[in-house]
Amino acid sequence: MKDIVCVTGVELLNDYLEGVLTADVRAALDAHVAGCQRCAAFIDSYRATPRLLKEATDAALPDDIQRSLRAFLRAQRH
Amino acid sequence: MVVTPAEPGDELLAAQAAAGDDHAFEQLVSRYEARIYRLACRLTSETEAPDVLQETFLQVYRNLRTFRGDSRFGTWLYRIATNAAMMNRRARARRPSEPLDQFLPRFDARGVHTGTPEELQLPSRADELLDRQALAERAREVLARLPDMYRDPFVLRDLEDLSTAEVAGMLGLDPAAVRQRVHRARLMLRGYLSDLVGVRP
Repeated sequence: MKDIVCVTGVELLNDYLEGVLTADVRAALDAHVAGCQRCAAFIDSYRATPRLLKEATDAALPDDIQRSLRAFLRAQRH
Repeated sequence: MVVTPAEPGDELLAAQAAAGDDHAFEQLVSRYEARIYRLACRLTSETEAPDVLQETFLQVYRNLRTFRGDSRFGTWLYRIATNAAMMNRRARARRPSEPLDQFLPRFDARGVHTGTPEELQLPSRADELLDRQALAERAREVLARLPDMYRDPFVLRDLEDLSTAEVAGMLGLDPAAVRQRVHRARLMLRGYLSDLVGVRP
């Protein structure tokens, strides 16, 4: 296959992480990233993104909303 | 050493609740209410989440008898909650959709990243560089700006840790389409974080 450059590597990145690439494409991508500091840095921040968003949106259930949910559900059952 | 008795499984509780056992239903509610609230915040907003939460458990209560136990209870519940969130959004005025394309990564004519390795790596340190509260607010804002076709798969796959196959089943999409949309969402959100920490993506 054609040599991988950063832009094609980025396009393939999630398929790579999900393990759905063929062995030859996977090897070509590995070879590119091994020699490309930009891609290594990009992948680092790409993988950090879901983790950061997950932590930042980890809302706790407020007590008053929990109480009104339970009162609502009790009222439905009677 | 404290030995705690094994908790009854969700599917057993669901069967008991379907047979009219209110205590079993309450146990399911207390097991999942916080997770469903958080999911509802991620798919709608803190304003709408209480309604989505109520609607979800009302639907669960009404439809327990149709839960066959051929899927996991959690999957079934998430499906109901996701639908409730979508219905809630549909009932609201459409917000303008912003593809957030300006946050996609940039490449030069040879297809090489335009940023330096240091710049490209910086978004991964957004939690060190930004105030926790500010980051939480920005995260809520950007999720709300993300078009639903990207938001839903991203939330379910990356924030709720469902598998690609589960998300595909839930949203009626091909797994390849889920992978592609989650990928695009991550690219846009990564660029948004990059912008927040002062680097043009």
